[in-house]
Amino acid sequence: MTRILVSILTLLLISSFPVLAQTKGDTWRYEGPRIGMDLSRFLLPTMQSAKRNGWEIQADIPYKGNLFPTFEMGMQWFDDKQSTFDYKNNGTYARLGIDMNIVKFESLKDHDFVFVGVRYGYSVFNQQTDNIGTTNYWGTITTSLPRHDMSAQWGELVFGMKGELLPNFFFGWSLRAKFPIAVTKDINMHPYIIPGIGKTGGGTPFDFSVGVYYRFPIFRSKTIPKPIKMGGAKHPGLNNENDPNNPDYGGSQSGGSQNYNRGGR
Amino acid sequence: MVTSISINGFKNVNTVIIKGINRNDVGDTLVNDASSSLTKRYPLPLSLTADSTGFVLNVNGISDTLYLRHKMIIKLISEFCGFAPNYVLSGSRFTAGIDSVKITDSKVNPQSIAKTTNDQNISIYFNASAH
Repeated sequence: MTRILVSILTLLLISSFPVLAQTKGDTWRYEGPRIGMDLSRFLLPTMQSAKRNGWEIQADIPYKGNLFPTFEMGMQWFDDKQSTFDYKNNGTYARLGIDMNIVKFESLKDHDFVFVGVRYGYSVFNQQTDNIGTTNYWGTITTSLPRHDMSAQWGELVFGMKGELLPNFFFGWSLRAKFPIAVTKDINMHPYIIPGIGKTGGGTPFDFSVGVYYRFPIFRSKTIPKPIKMGGAKHPGLNNENDPNNPDYGGSQSGGSQNYNRGGR
Repeated sequence: MVTSISINGFKNVNTVIIKGINRNDVGDTLVNDASSSLTKRYPLPLSLTADSTGFVLNVNGISDTLYLRHKMIIKLISEFCGFAPNYVLSGSRFTAGIDSVKITDSKVNPQSIAKTTNDQNISIYFNASAH
């Protein structure tokens, strides 16, 4: 554990040199892997009657400027005491995916972005139910369902943003719609919560995430990533060289691939 | 378990009293119906612990017994509604006043109660001569 802490501190120290360089007014754009923690996992216990604890780390790395391959991993412990049964559900999950920036970076130092993304999630968990009480005309039974090891797969659509509050320190949030693909069958009960997905009670599960991140600025360049071109029909005005919407419009703009910069912040 | 009761030969069912076997205490009567009809339908509970359930059916003053074999598993309805027993009916055994018992839907679950008229889990046909 000490070794891990020392490694992390060393990495932070090494990576802080480019930050110092940044403050000297040079024109480099620093990029690198970003790692952070989802703070919403710590808020969940205060928002529900059941005991729901967990943690989640999130990491991404820029690819060609506007794409961010993403890895997320976490654990969840759920302990629910209902009036007629006690339910436990614990497990580990991971998600792989990619986010795509949908706004322009306005300067070399602009790292704020809004993104849409997709995820594939896999969860390994177990559930156990005790003190199940049932009563009818014939009497009352109290029974238990033993621990059942299960797994689940799902897809996610993600929309969110990340903003650089301090050099290399980011704050971000995301909204997520989750689409279960496969869940281990259980003859007695479908899990009503799945680590990584959340509550599965009705309809499409939605979730939110609020995180803080640190970027290791280990890559640098002098170019602003070009926005990703989306498909679709051309605007009729684009054929007109005098149309200001046309990139070829002569007007007051000068040419060049990097002149979409609106002047920075 | 939704149960329909009728007497062969289109004879009216006038009175029906249903109790669970060995449940003879006051308040243990499941059905006590004195209205007259060709067919009657009642929801009847099945045992939570045994793999068969027995009923004493008194129709038009004549008592018969019916045993139903079943398998039960407990299933979650929802997080807030909790669990409920779900059964699969596999057979029946009955006394001579009953002509036949037809299992029309062997799956008995909390949704069974929502069955509409002419849809039931079992249909019990009594002998006209005995009733």
